Amino acid sequence: MISPFSIILSGFLFAAAAPLLQRFTRDRAHVILALYPLLTLLLLINEYGLVVDGPVIRESLSWVPSLGIGLSFALDGLAYFFALIITTIGLLVLLYASAYFKGDQRLPRFYLLFMSFMASMLGLVLADTLITLFVFWELTGVSSYFLIGFNNQRAAARAGALQALLVTGLGGLALLAGFIMLGNIAGSYDLPRIMESSAIIQQSPLYPAILFLLLLGAFTKSAQVPFHFWLPNAMEAPTPVSAYLHSATMVKAGIYLLARLSPALGGTELWHYALSIPGAITMLLGAFLAFGQTDLKRLLAYSTISALGTLTLLLGLYTDDAVKAALIFLFVHSLYKGALFMIAGSVDHESGTRDIRALGGLYLQMPATAAAAVLAALSMAGLPPLLGFISKELLYEAKLQAPVAAPFVTAAGVCANALIVALAAKFVLMTFFGQAHSTPKQPHEAPILMRIGPALLAGFGLIAGLLPDQLASRLIEGAVQAVRPEIAPVHFSLWHGFTDVLILSTLTVGAGIALFRWGGWLLVRGERMRVLASLGPARAYDSLLRGTLRLANALTDAIQDGTLRHYLLLALIFLCVLLGAAAAPLLRHGTLPAMSGIPFHEAATAVLIALGAVTVASSKSRFTAITALGVVGFGVSLIFLFYGAPDLALTQFSIETLSIVLFVLVLPRLPKLLDTSSLSTRIRDALLSSLLGLLVALLVLLGADAHAPSHLQEFFGEYSVPFAHGRNVVNVILVDFRSLDTIGEITVLLVSALGVYALMRSWPGERQ
Amino acid sequence: MLILLPILVPLLTAIVLVGCWTRPSVQRIIALGSSCVQLAVAALLLHQTSTGRIVTIAIGAWPPPFGIVLVADILSALMITVTGVVSVAVMVYSMSGIDANREAHGYYPLLSTLLTGVNGAFLTADIFNLYVWFELLLISSFVLTALGGGKGQLEGAVKYVTLNLIASVVFLTATGVLYGIAGTLSMGDLAARIPAIQHREILGMVAVLYLVAFGIKAAMFPLYMWLPASYHTLPAPVGALFSGLLTKVGVYAFYRMFTLVFPAMDFGMTTLILVISGFTMLVGVLGAAVQYEFRRLLSFHIVSQIGYLLFALGVGTPLALAGGIFYTIHNIIAKANLYLIAGVAARLGGSYDIRKLGGLFSAAPWLGILFLVPALSLAGVPPLSGFWAKLAVIRAGLEREHYLLGAVALITSLLTLFSMSKVWSEVFWKQRDSNPETDADPAQRPIAYQVAPIALLAAITLTLGLFAEPLFALVSDAARQLLDPSAYVDAVLRRAP
Amino acid sequence: MHILLALVTGILFAGGLYLMLRRSIVKLAFGLALIAQAANLAIFTSSGLVRGEPPIIEAGGMRLAAVSSDPVPQALILTAIVIGFALLAFVIVLIKRAAWIVGTDDLDDLRNVDRTAT
Repeated sequence: MISPFSIILSGFLFAAAAPLLQRFTRDRAHVILALYPLLTLLLLINEYGLVVDGPVIRESLSWVPSLGIGLSFALDGLAYFFALIITTIGLLVLLYASAYFKGDQRLPRFYLLFMSFMASMLGLVLADTLITLFVFWELTGVSSYFLIGFNNQRAAARAGALQALLVTGLGGLALLAGFIMLGNIAGSYDLPRIMESSAIIQQSPLYPAILFLLLLGAFTKSAQVPFHFWLPNAMEAPTPVSAYLHSATMVKAGIYLLARLSPALGGTELWHYALSIPGAITMLLGAFLAFGQTDLKRLLAYSTISALGTLTLLLGLYTDDAVKAALIFLFVHSLYKGALFMIAGSVDHESGTRDIRALGGLYLQMPATAAAAVLAALSMAGLPPLLGFISKELLYEAKLQAPVAAPFVTAAGVCANALIVALAAKFVLMTFFGQAHSTPKQPHEAPILMRIGPALLAGFGLIAGLLPDQLASRLIEGAVQAVRPEIAPVHFSLWHGFTDVLILSTLTVGAGIALFRWGGWLLVRGERMRVLASLGPARAYDSLLRGTLRLANALTDAIQDGTLRHYLLLALIFLCVLLGAAAAPLLRHGTLPAMSGIPFHEAATAVLIALGAVTVASSKSRFTAITALGVVGFGVSLIFLFYGAPDLALTQFSIETLSIVLFVLVLPRLPKLLDTSSLSTRIRDALLSSLLGLLVALLVLLGADAHAPSHLQEFFGEYSVPFAHGRNVVNVILVDFRSLDTIGEITVLLVSALGVYALMRSWPGERQ
Repeated sequence: MLILLPILVPLLTAIVLVGCWTRPSVQRIIALGSSCVQLAVAALLLHQTSTGRIVTIAIGAWPPPFGIVLVADILSALMITVTGVVSVAVMVYSMSGIDANREAHGYYPLLSTLLTGVNGAFLTADIFNLYVWFELLLISSFVLTALGGGKGQLEGAVKYVTLNLIASVVFLTATGVLYGIAGTLSMGDLAARIPAIQHREILGMVAVLYLVAFGIKAAMFPLYMWLPASYHTLPAPVGALFSGLLTKVGVYAFYRMFTLVFPAMDFGMTTLILVISGFTMLVGVLGAAVQYEFRRLLSFHIVSQIGYLLFALGVGTPLALAGGIFYTIHNIIAKANLYLIAGVAARLGGSYDIRKLGGLFSAAPWLGILFLVPALSLAGVPPLSGFWAKLAVIRAGLEREHYLLGAVALITSLLTLFSMSKVWSEVFWKQRDSNPETDADPAQRPIAYQVAPIALLAAITLTLGLFAEPLFALVSDAARQLLDPSAYVDAVLRRAP
Repeated sequence: MHILLALVTGILFAGGLYLMLRRSIVKLAFGLALIAQAANLAIFTSSGLVRGEPPIIEAGGMRLAAVSSDPVPQALILTAIVIGFALLAFVIVLIKRAAWIVGTDDLDDLRNVDRTAT
């Protein structure tokens, strides 16, 4: 029995071992690393019959049961289908990369990231709980960040990596929120439970919000308009990365997610429109934008965007035919796009340029690569007898039978496909045929490892086109069944007879060739729109990022302005507002106690303290202020004396004396106490301080009114003599009942002394 | 007796350290040894409490609520343990990561008194005693902040000291008034008596005072400005200790007081705390987005993450509090580690300004990998510890239909990712313009002492992420204890449950 | 009497906070000294005032007289006074040092490292 968890785990182990392997095998790590996708592929093939026909293989490990989260995996038809693509293309690209990066010091790092990505991607498609899926989803995003920024000396690579990270990161967080809400509704994160809860989910008032969040996740990952712009910028990645991540795997993750969750969320009217409309726009816009590109990789990137739009559109239609067409198209696209990316990399590698205007006639120097390119391009254009043809026929069939707006959907499909035909022609004809140009490097055939991948992928497109029923139908059927369990058996054939679909196909090819031949006109006419469409969302991203930073700067500058009194002011206003709000109900029905029966000496002391405080606050002379401070302190110690606290009075008296000595000793040479703030500032501060003072006074007053004798007093009064052998209860409390306080207090005193000593010592601190 | 050791050990250590004032090399060893002992004691205490048992000791054997009682429930024991971990890391780092001048002027004794205060605050069940421990950790941190006396450092110290002293005064006033109306200081006794006290409005005002006092210490909006004003002026190990622990003592006080003594719900504080949490998350992370001083950038993130912790408290469900405690522990480890990493990056690259740094990925790839673990964890990337923390808190929030705050939390998380990738891009990926002003100080001690604790903390972050269950089960129990404080109250008051 | 003391407490707070909001670094220290006094007075006032009956058990007596001041707040204030002094002493030296190193006693000038770099 196959264990998905072991497969994924060993992928990460291979990744971790890659740098070491590279050292010990003297740059031949790819031989060992290739074993991973190869063995996984063989294991998968071995399970072919079981998975396609049999029960779903499930595996569940406990992970964080306290959160209700398991580490669960399932290998059903859909997962199987994606896993096959991931391992096959992964294997070929890995070998390709080993030749592409030959002699590069950074290969160990590349292998580490590449293998991690592969394992993460497998985890993503094999996950059987939302959280497991999310974990791997994010891991693909993180490893993609490092792969896009692989050429980290280049600022453009760093910017592209950051852009991809932020755009897909935003989607990822939306996805997390959506998953959490889904889990809350279904009561579990397990996918089978989510599927069962389909009806509850779709009737929930949160359904639109959840759908929106999930689509945000899927659309950012799968580069749907208006989030598509990160993908062309991610072409800063080395070509093997693009061949793997940006054609066949990571960008398909969003599509995978939509397919995976469609049984739970799909089929509603909202689903229908929310997917089809962005999908159709992406399909058209991607193809249109690709048409104007001159960089081979960017051309492929935009055509990938178009293909991803097509897939979203089909899943939005969500008929049996549409799902079937989506999956076969996804398969075909992975084959030819993976091949074409590798070919673009080979061309770049061997000739030194990817600019289509500087290329031509390469078939002479690179015949094998050219042959693979022709096959792949034919599949892309959807010509018989390649698998691409079958896929396109199905596509049209699905679109013709779209539940709503079928004519419109079909027309959009024809337009986009015609553009794709033109693109395929442009790619092959302008690179490999026609006039040869002089290129930065003298071109020659790519090394064998860089030819195998494109040849196999393109070749399989041909063989599968000839033998579709034997090679593809059961695979697709298994995958479709995971999405739509009641589907009839799937059969593919190359020839459907003379149907309206065939007419559409012919029309598409004709229009495509015409576009290729005379398409310059369209480009010139559409220039303005092209610029807008290709730069619009990217500009929006830029200005959003810049705007956020500007806002952050302004906000931080306003709050964190470096001025202590502003910090204090804010804190005190906060305190004042809260305290005022808490006191408000009291003011309504409170009465003040009368101020009577106060002996003269007490009243005089109180007035003295108050006067002292006011004097300190207003004095311009340091000497006066210190004297007034002393008056306050001694006044307070008198109060203590009046109210039965002789110890306090004594302590207060001596401490106050010490403080004054300290003030006089330490602060003699400082300038006068100038108040440099304006009158309005002073009034503001005085008002605020008074208000706070009033509130504190109120609190103390009310507290004193509400005072109830404490049972502590009773206890201490009773136990001091017999158990603690002391008559001065305050002292007994300090040294015995609450000795821990006293220990802390003494320590504070000692630390302070240490600090004073450290500060007083002439430190080699520079004065400026 | 065991429960007394987390206070006693560092206190005695401080005395011993002062005894060998002139021999920094001996101090280093003793301080490190003492931290290891503290960690061991804490681990033992955690083991004892993990079953739900609440360990107490009445100081001087005076019956509660008359004497001071120390209490360790799961939350306290966890906080003590993580304090031990961070202090061991900081002590090892200090073996070569702190200058001789500071070592000669009481660096290690001050760290020890600081730890005494921190542990005391986590363990005490007496509100005035809490004040005393707060003051001890404050004065120790004040001196540590001012120690070394550079211009920027002293400027930061003045702001730090001023706002925190305001917090102390507010705390003291609140405690005085509270004693006046409740007639007791034991937190257990307070919890038992407060529901019966009629003067709700006065209690409400007292609760507000505590909110502000703890809010300043925890650096919440709009009371946080002292933190980004001072923490970036500290040497890396001090910054690591402060950023890991000090604000979290404030958060601990929040969690304890507003579940035990002033249950947030009863005092209409929930909405207030939630609103504050949203602002705290946002202003913190936005502040970080525009910083280029490595440590200052991290300081703003401290603020932002305090917002998460308050969000959890405001939501107040078992899951939320569990997530909040998990978040606290994750954050202490990750944030302390990032400060230490900033220190090593500055040692290698000669600056704390990330614009001046660069090329460290090729110069020191191991540091890059060690950076990524806490950095990505901070941004909540799975499967690191920060992910589970974020997941639990946000899930709890969404369950209670706090959609707006959930969105704020997620945006904060995205902006954190932005900040971390900015650091990565500037410090590690980018080529640096000029060669570093070679910091070839011949007296510099081996860098291994600085890297080892970083690796240790990164390993913890990774482990807490991959194997989150043991800790999560523990924090779930801790959250249950917080929400049903009767066991705590019984333990403090020595009543049979 | 407690209304008078409550007012005094309030005035001490107000004066102290007002001082702390000034730009002079010396006034900051004065302000801190005042609010520390205020807090002590707040504890003293709000936990019941009893005139002239110190919590001392007379020689030969076994327990505190029924009418006497509550010893607990006194113990707390005693602790707080000492702690407050320790902090104040440190603050005085710190501001002296800071003013000398930075070369100003204007708090608004203490922002060399506390601005957002752009």
